[in-house]
Amino acid sequence: MSDKTVHCRNYNENPCSMCMPMGGILPFKGIGQSMVIIHGSQGCSTYMRRHIAEHFNEPIDVASSSLNEKGTIYGGEENLKKGLDNLIKAYRPRVIGVLTTCLAETIGEDIDRIVEEYRLERGLGQECSIIAVPTPGYGGTHFEGYWLALKELARLAGRVPKHSRINVIIPNLSPADIREIKRILGLMKIEYILLPDFSDTLDRPFERPYKKIPGGGTELSDIMAMGGSRATIQMGMTVDERLSPGKYLEKEFGVPLYNIPVPMGIEGTDTFLGLLSRISGHPAPEELSRERGRLLDCMIDSHKYNFRGRSVIFGEPELVGAMAATCIENGIFPVVLATGSKTEKLSRLLQPWLEEHHIKCLFLTETDFFTIREQAVRGKANIAIGHSDGRYLTEREGIPLVRAGFPIHDRVGGQRLLSVGYAGTAMFLDRITNTLLENKYSNYRSSMYRKFYRGDEKDAVPAGKSR
Amino acid sequence: MAVNEKNFDKMLDQYPAKVKRNRKKHIIIRDSSTAAQEIEANTRTIPGVLTNRGCAFAGCKGVVLGPLRDVVHIVHGPIGCAYYSWLTRRNKARSDDPGKNFMTYCVSTDMQESDIVFGGEKKLARTIDEVMEIFSPEAITISATCPVGLIGDDIQQVAREARKRHGINVMSFSCEGYKGVSQSAGHHIANNGLMEWVIGQGTTEDPPGQFAINMLGEYNIGGDSWEVERVLKEIGYTVVSVMTGDGSYEELKNAHVSQLNLVQCHRSINYIAEMLEKKYGTPWLKVNFIGIQSTAESLRNMALYFGDEGLIQRTEEVIARELARIEPALEKYKKICDGKTAFCFVGGSRGHHYQGLYQELGIETLLAGYEFAHRDDYEGRDILPHVKTDADSKNIPDLQVVPDKKRFRLKIPEERMAQLQEKIPLSNYQGMISDMKDGSIIVDDLNHFETEEFVRLLKPDIFSSGIKDKYIVQKMGIPSKQLHNYDYSGPYAGFNGAVNFARDISMSFVSPTWNFIEPPWKNIPLLEGTIGEGES
Repeated sequence: MSDKTVHCRNYNENPCSMCMPMGGILPFKGIGQSMVIIHGSQGCSTYMRRHIAEHFNEPIDVASSSLNEKGTIYGGEENLKKGLDNLIKAYRPRVIGVLTTCLAETIGEDIDRIVEEYRLERGLGQECSIIAVPTPGYGGTHFEGYWLALKELARLAGRVPKHSRINVIIPNLSPADIREIKRILGLMKIEYILLPDFSDTLDRPFERPYKKIPGGGTELSDIMAMGGSRATIQMGMTVDERLSPGKYLEKEFGVPLYNIPVPMGIEGTDTFLGLLSRISGHPAPEELSRERGRLLDCMIDSHKYNFRGRSVIFGEPELVGAMAATCIENGIFPVVLATGSKTEKLSRLLQPWLEEHHIKCLFLTETDFFTIREQAVRGKANIAIGHSDGRYLTEREGIPLVRAGFPIHDRVGGQRLLSVGYAGTAMFLDRITNTLLENKYSNYRSSMYRKFYRGDEKDAVPAGKSR
Repeated sequence: MAVNEKNFDKMLDQYPAKVKRNRKKHIIIRDSSTAAQEIEANTRTIPGVLTNRGCAFAGCKGVVLGPLRDVVHIVHGPIGCAYYSWLTRRNKARSDDPGKNFMTYCVSTDMQESDIVFGGEKKLARTIDEVMEIFSPEAITISATCPVGLIGDDIQQVAREARKRHGINVMSFSCEGYKGVSQSAGHHIANNGLMEWVIGQGTTEDPPGQFAINMLGEYNIGGDSWEVERVLKEIGYTVVSVMTGDGSYEELKNAHVSQLNLVQCHRSINYIAEMLEKKYGTPWLKVNFIGIQSTAESLRNMALYFGDEGLIQRTEEVIARELARIEPALEKYKKICDGKTAFCFVGGSRGHHYQGLYQELGIETLLAGYEFAHRDDYEGRDILPHVKTDADSKNIPDLQVVPDKKRFRLKIPEERMAQLQEKIPLSNYQGMISDMKDGSIIVDDLNHFETEEFVRLLKPDIFSSGIKDKYIVQKMGIPSKQLHNYDYSGPYAGFNGAVNFARDISMSFVSPTWNFIEPPWKNIPLLEGTIGEGES
């Protein structure tokens, strides 16, 4: 393993991350009957809605306090309060997330005070909870925004009697992944509180009549009960402790925390099921054992193709970690692992695997696609795995991209991509193997010709370059 | 159901009283018997109502500057805004020299917390130096996001110094998101900058060819500009520059030599159009290349302006030939579309422009509106002297231009100008309202609540707007057509564009997808049998 490098230039060229409030919106979308208002210029909310909507193909209703020049001088309190009034009147949400922006934080808005004052002024009782999350755009990437919002949500938990349920706290996964995790929990006969759960709200079925706020999402009462749970399973190996909702619940209420990777790959899913078994005492049912067997069969069938893969994997650190581990299990050894976020935990997490298999891999944190592209070429990557902004690796360097994570803007179905659990891993793996195969077949004849008739040793030509 | 005062009022009653009073001024039911119907526009957005509007940064960097392909656009601020404005407008660009097409790059100073505290000027200056080293562009723009103005980074000064250091044009735009009431403020800021620092900087003094024109307010979404240019060139026009779709700094510098400026999107570019007239004596013509009739009319108006017999004849020939070619292709689509109804809510001009095209297909527009337009885009420029300027609009200063001593030339005599103005929209725009049928609804800054309510009331067959409201309406069972990015289709402008549009709209009506909404078991009783009355 070589050292991680931070790009040494002063600017960011083709970013591999978004801003903090963007990440903060997603957990709130996974809370029952909730709405978000962004305290800042209305452009923030408009841009983020646009980007989330294009990934999920769903309405993304996010309000804005529409601050203007006057607000920057006299403070935005009045606008935020008016915005809350209008939001409550039109949507009647049970939960409102108030996220700040560069603007609100730079002018020093004290949103905790404003929200508290608002509650008192309007005599707002239990019917609506307002949660303020300070998310300046310069405070981190959308990954940190996501986890900070989750932590602020976890702070709703109260001191309640102990109960037998288990908290399951998940990172930014696809709705299909969330549904799969719920299915596994169901098969394991686990009673759980899932935070957040946007499996229905951000992938809602067509139904009539249209509802302003979709059904589904974690119930507020369930969040409040998280302090009494038997344990917390948090899929957040790369999450800073300051942002960790699981850590908070452990410190505050003594709920034991089990921090595990996203259940992807054989080992990742084994860890998850093993843990569930250990906590609940329930063995994994036959159905899941068969799924494990089927995944193994898939891995064996594909391993010859997969071993030719040299991957460059990028995106949010938690997903990069899980996808990298899955790739390593299958011989698709990574040459570059990259994230726009600042984290040291990712490389620490993967080190044992990399050492075990003598993999030379470059870690890039706080990076951009300029650097990723440069290093992917240097490492002779032949497959890219990550969100759709990596399409430049295909366009410029002919490295095919398997789309995974968030956002996926140039293809449909990001919300339906299934990659977790044994069954999901098999599907994830097939997507990769088939991309490698497509590349192989599209070059097969020309590379053979070059090899045997022209003595050219180079056989793997990236797709798009030779055609 | 039609919208009348009663159900309209009932709908607005769901708002808090103050909001209702405000919103009522932004919505009118068209009534031609009322001499001048007034609409409120370009005023502050109500917080919390889920507007579709964006910010000044979006209007400046995203809309006007972004499409200039040979310029490196630096976003000075934290990472988000640069990311969100990275190729999101779908304006296409091609370049003879791929090394000078920077469209696909997103360059940000990626300000961190320490930059907010200690200032970001040095980081910006270093970014410019690095951009010069790597891309070596002819020009650089710097667009500011919210915190920049607040922490007092002097980007104008950084730009000035960089200009000296590198000997190229470095322009700075203070388009912080909080300025103005919508992206419209950003258009104005960008217009001022382009006028001050780009247009007229070239050394060309004479038009490069006959009938030299600029095309203003055409952003080449889905290739619109290319389709229009195809026709213009065929007729014999010389397109000097396009602002700014597939536009270039090199062309823009010499835009002053044109003999006529065409204005497609009045809202986003009318400032430059006016300033060009003042500074160089070049009038502008409001054109509309969306729809067959509008395209033909715009072409005829252009020919009339130049008054050249050969040009007029070629215009008619090209129109006749194009019509003969596309009309048969349109027939089958017209049969599908006839009798349908639409909503048409777009940014600052398309809400008006697409109504004609809809009509040609037999589709009636029940409701139309603009996201961020001003009163003149609705009511026509005649009302401009009566529009009150408020604090928000004053915050974006007008750039004062004076006639250029060397280059000012009245392109046509005043007398002929007056004659032409009787016949064609020369340096004038009549706005949307006068083209709308009685009983139709005009909404300024339509929000999500109103979208739902109006869709329920009027039940249009197709809804055309953007991605933020698209999915609401589709979830309500009504097809939607994105008129901001064309759902990755297009071009929709000009003659070929009309056919593309007709095809795409028809597809929404005839796609079998919509036939499966009711499950077959919905109306079949699950159990066969009768319920005996009186049984306990």
